Amino acid sequence: MLSGYTSKKRVNERYRIIGFISSGTYGRVYKAQGRNGETREFAIKKFKPDKEGEVQYTGISQSAIREMALCTELTDPNVIHTVEIILEDKCIFIVFEYAEHDLLQIIHYHTQQSRKAIAAKAIKSILWQLLNGLLYLHRNWVMHRDLKPANIMVTKAGEVKIGDLGLARLFYKPLHSLFTGDKVVVTIWYRAPELLLGSRHYTPAVDLWAVGCIFAELLSLRPIFKGEEAKMDSKKIVPFQRNQMMKIIEVLGMPTKERWPLLTAMQEYAQLQALGSTMRSSGRTRTLKDWWQTTMQNNQYSPGQGNSPGDEGRDLLQGLLEYDPQKRLTAEQALQHPYFTAGGEADKPSKNCFGSVKIEYPHRRVSQEDNDIRTSSVPGTKRSGLPDDSLIGRPAKRLKEG
Amino acid sequence: MASSYWDSTQRRNWTYTKPELADIRKKLEDSERVLVSQYPLPDRRLLSQYFAQQLQKLGKPLSVRQQALATAQIYIRRFYTKVEIRRTNPLLVVATALYLACKMEECPQHIRLLSAEANHNWPDFGPKEPSRIGECEFALIAEMNSQLIIHHPYRSMTELQSSFPLSQEENNLAWNIINDHYLTDLPLLHAPHLIAITAMVLAVVLRPQQSTHQVHAANVANALQALSNPKAAPGANGPGGANIQIRIQKLITWLAESSADIEAIVDCTQELISLYEVWDQYNEKVCREQINRFVKGKGLEK
Repeated sequence: MLSGYTSKKRVNERYRIIGFISSGTYGRVYKAQGRNGETREFAIKKFKPDKEGEVQYTGISQSAIREMALCTELTDPNVIHTVEIILEDKCIFIVFEYAEHDLLQIIHYHTQQSRKAIAAKAIKSILWQLLNGLLYLHRNWVMHRDLKPANIMVTKAGEVKIGDLGLARLFYKPLHSLFTGDKVVVTIWYRAPELLLGSRHYTPAVDLWAVGCIFAELLSLRPIFKGEEAKMDSKKIVPFQRNQMMKIIEVLGMPTKERWPLLTAMQEYAQLQALGSTMRSSGRTRTLKDWWQTTMQNNQYSPGQGNSPGDEGRDLLQGLLEYDPQKRLTAEQALQHPYFTAGGEADKPSKNCFGSVKIEYPHRRVSQEDNDIRTSSVPGTKRSGLPDDSLIGRPAKRLKEG
Repeated sequence: MASSYWDSTQRRNWTYTKPELADIRKKLEDSERVLVSQYPLPDRRLLSQYFAQQLQKLGKPLSVRQQALATAQIYIRRFYTKVEIRRTNPLLVVATALYLACKMEECPQHIRLLSAEANHNWPDFGPKEPSRIGECEFALIAEMNSQLIIHHPYRSMTELQSSFPLSQEENNLAWNIINDHYLTDLPLLHAPHLIAITAMVLAVVLRPQQSTHQVHAANVANALQALSNPKAAPGANGPGGANIQIRIQKLITWLAESSADIEAIVDCTQELISLYEVWDQYNEKVCREQINRFVKGKGLEK
């Protein structure tokens, strides 16, 4: 009967909640174990109704609908697998395969505990798998739009899986310009220059820029363009992200209309020119080559010891951090880059990013304070696509909200 | 055709053979024998026409795009392969399918606005409050296993025109034929590109005479004949007949080269013919009354 929806599947009958992993604006994520002979572990993402304590059905948010639809549709070894979706008691539960690690956690381990760079071979494997997952998404007309280290999962077996499709969208012939849908996408540090400059017709190339940023971060262990976000003002006008653009120019130099012909058509072109002239007079622009050399030195990557991304790595990074989205490498082109294809069998990317490296990464932290998936409450707000992954911010947030 | 269709949940989980589909429906009816015999309903295609009309009524003031209406029609059809219609309030399902389809097709409508429109259109039997639509949305998504992405023939038709361009009037006619196919089971039986090819074939063969969107059975029958025997094409004897014959010859060559499944196209054509044949029996009032009878009888409107 439609009078009174009752779920045929019940979360607590199928899963035993082990603990709480993290929370976001959408709701929270729990670690769980299967019941009834199912011994695998899972991550369950619970979406709360928009208003806390809502006793009536208010309609599911469009972003949750998108995520549910995409999660059930996509199947790829390098995209996190959705086991099932349960709709129960006005809440939505998306059940994912469990991944012990994510790239943010791994980077964090290398900066805080081991204080050593990530092995060049491991980075190659991570990037290879990440690009394969992205190629799959793009072939299926899906833009991720929020790639960042915290959203790239890594299993115990060293498989890399793209997670969190909360901002992902189909890009085949959208009914509205993609710009009108969500005004702000992608965490600012990983945001492509065309988005910072106000492009209305952006493309899957935004994901490749983010991959470039992640590649750089794996090598240097810190975000390559760590800008500060200019917040939306009271009139909800999206401001020019001056500081973020400046960080990019400091590493890559000014974009030019010779290399990026459509640059002058960008909404924020005037702002960029103003920024450029200030920066030129203070002599604060360099090239990616300088960044690369410094990083290779600081993190002791050396070809002599067989631990280096090599010149091919530098060239690939250059191709991913290409200003002009039309010239930027696609996922397919990136996978055919000599960084992956040149060299002998020993240089080929591995399907296990841990390979023979014996590092015991710490397991994902799970809090015991909130084990009741059905009653726990968290202020539910609509997701705005604002950044929530500062390196220090995460554990602190856990304590505060956990 | 985008590569994504072949791996899609639409192809894997929501495309059936005719016997499979008949079997699913028989099982559903068998489990509700009393209800089914107590409340007879019109032909499924006529019911579909009624739903399509209600969707139009709801969507028009909100300027909902055709593709969202089409997606809603598929959601309704899928839902009723899982749930016996006489256990539901169809107008609530119609409103909810549209609400959900608008979100999936990136033209969202506020639940309050949609609910108000539903109330205005169906003061007695429609959903009374937005929360009812919100609740029905859970049921709809759960029954569809959250598989909400729909591949439509519209996109295929645009792609196919790179190898066989249609004139403006042919294109309009083909578009209307695609709109009509949602009244049949074809979306559960065939791939969207086959529907698109069928619509293109019919549009080329039938082209000039039709000004209304309703294609008549006799003409379609001629079209079918034309496929096997181009010389007998309609219009071949009328003014400009020779041109039409050349055009149809081109079409047949294109079809042969496209290595499309001709048998499937013939099947699609037949489904459409029988739709146009049954269409004349459509009577909105009869459909409404028959639906209202079980809704009221079972108190489903509350």
